[in-house]
Amino acid sequence: MAKPDTPPKQVIFEGEEAGAGFASPLMDFIASAFLLLIAAAFMAGSLALPVPGSLATAPGLLPFLTAASLGLMALALAWTAWQRWRASRLLATRMAPFDWDLPTELRTLALALCVLIYISALQILTFRTDFVLGGFPLVLSAFEPVTIVVLVVIMSLFWRGPLWISLTISIVWTVFLSLVFRNMFHVPLPGS
Amino acid sequence: MLDSILLALSPYLLLVTTAGVCLGIIWGALPGLSTTMAMGLLIGLSAGMGQNSAICFMLGVYTGSVFGGAISAVLINIPGTPDAVPTMIEGHQLAQRGEGGQALGMAIASSFIGGWVGIILLVAFIPLLLTFALNFRSWEMFLLALTGILVAGTMSTGEMPLKGWISGWLGMLVAFVGLDAIHATPRFTFGTFALFDGISYVPVLIGLFGLAEILRTLPSPSAPTIPSGVDRVVPPLRMIMKYFKSAVRSGVLGTVIGAIPGAGANVASFLSYDIGRRRASPEERAKWGKGSYEAIVCAETANNANIGGSMLPTLALGIPGNAAAAALLAALTLKNVVVGPTIETDHPGLIYFIYAALVVANMIMYVAALMLIRPCVRLFSLPRGILMPLILPVCIIGAYSVKLSIFDVWIMFAAGIFGWLMSRFKFPVAPMVLGVILAPLADESLRRSLFIFEDKSWSYVASQWIGTVLIIFIALVIIDGIRRLFSKPSDPSKAAV
Repeated sequence: MAKPDTPPKQVIFEGEEAGAGFASPLMDFIASAFLLLIAAAFMAGSLALPVPGSLATAPGLLPFLTAASLGLMALALAWTAWQRWRASRLLATRMAPFDWDLPTELRTLALALCVLIYISALQILTFRTDFVLGGFPLVLSAFEPVTIVVLVVIMSLFWRGPLWISLTISIVWTVFLSLVFRNMFHVPLPGS
Repeated sequence: MLDSILLALSPYLLLVTTAGVCLGIIWGALPGLSTTMAMGLLIGLSAGMGQNSAICFMLGVYTGSVFGGAISAVLINIPGTPDAVPTMIEGHQLAQRGEGGQALGMAIASSFIGGWVGIILLVAFIPLLLTFALNFRSWEMFLLALTGILVAGTMSTGEMPLKGWISGWLGMLVAFVGLDAIHATPRFTFGTFALFDGISYVPVLIGLFGLAEILRTLPSPSAPTIPSGVDRVVPPLRMIMKYFKSAVRSGVLGTVIGAIPGAGANVASFLSYDIGRRRASPEERAKWGKGSYEAIVCAETANNANIGGSMLPTLALGIPGNAAAAALLAALTLKNVVVGPTIETDHPGLIYFIYAALVVANMIMYVAALMLIRPCVRLFSLPRGILMPLILPVCIIGAYSVKLSIFDVWIMFAAGIFGWLMSRFKFPVAPMVLGVILAPLADESLRRSLFIFEDKSWSYVASQWIGTVLIIFIALVIIDGIRRLFSKPSDPSKAAV
């Protein structure tokens, strides 16, 4: 007996950025409320700006027009969310208010905190020691130890491998970046 | 032109281009790391280079990363870049049948042909566009900037252009922070001295495409990937000749799409794939979706031809063709290269050097792609928990290196968090980058043109025919967006999302 043909896979274009588009009505309501607040703040800020010449060349002209049209778009977003919410009620479809996965979001929060601490440490801890190793001028600054520690912490959070591997990779990568940016391209690094 | 080619072929620039292409291929091959992310993060590295080296490096990264997406698409069924989805559908099925090497060979050859088509069309059309662009004055530049942001918004979200426009508008608001260009009035600075210089778009770009991507992909659970075996990767010449017509057609299509501001490799690849299917012979069409070489040719030629296309508006008008071109524009700006209608008078010979750098990058891409497939296969087995954190210091250095300011690193962090939130609320981020880049041009041009139009009649404004054509185009884009807003989602399940 001949093997039945497998159906061809479909290619669906979702836009230049996959994943962008319809969110849950509640999320779109929240987004539109936030956008309205931003629009109102920028409109008020634009009106408060001085007008040195004529109104046509006022510094607040385009910011005001942009904020006003953003406000209109926020209202349109709220309207579409309302329409979809009504449609779901009529169809008696059970809505998920947030399509968020709590454990994943908590891990994201932990990661964001790590990044926050990383940048704060680079801002607060600033030192620089120049030394020569085998005739090669090298620099040790806060960037190297802070980066190694942060990378090890993040790797430990998201990978269950042995600590020595995380530590080795972090050291090798940090030294590589430091050499490439500082010595090869003469780009100063933060924390020095 | 010959001088530029010889310059691009000098040993140091050849080395820099090779480094850019190799980094681009590896970056593009790694799932979750997009072309724009590669371009955005490596701006930091290019900041330490000379002007010619930076151009060669960034064009190398661009050329390499667009192709790189095909490697993971074929071997692990995950597109390295979004434009590699059609290649994934076809290529992975071929890989499962033991034809992975041949599929990748076709992808490499198609990308090479696509690169050439894009470059040839760029060289052919840029003088025309530059001559035409000299007619663009303030009013037209304002409308062109607005068109770029609107089209980017429309293209980025298939069914809901409204969210794309909102994203672009938010980018514009970000760009308004700082001293205004005409009266030097501080706008939205809240007395903070660091904000007087405005918000630089490099940290915003790195935050939106780098940090936001790390925040999105690293915490999400992922299964380990097992790459399909890959045999000898040599593109068969007979097969290339068989699909040459499709390759040229897709190349032209990819270049034209690239030239439209906001439409990138993704649109080019999907549209070319779809048109290729419609125009294929019945026996070839039957293979579509089950492992077709012609489909790979269509998608890969189009996305690489897109590079040359995206250079057209970027170089001639200063309007980036897509988000990756926006990153290239940022790198050029850091080297004091102001692109636009006067590029030939401001930077004589530069445009020829860019052609030459593109040609060299495309040639190197062909060789490097053949050599890097096996190392890339090894990289796929690296856990995401190791790979993604390594990008974090690159984001930090990239944001810091532009002005050597830790304030910019904080901007990058804020942009990253905001970008992550935008993706959770299903807003696209590319239009925001275009908004940040184009808003200063729009602001200055609008005010200058309104000053000129102040004592003129409406009929005078309407007589500016390029502007009037652009207004009609903008109106059509908005009407189409509104029409889509009122129409029901094509997928009924989305109505209740």
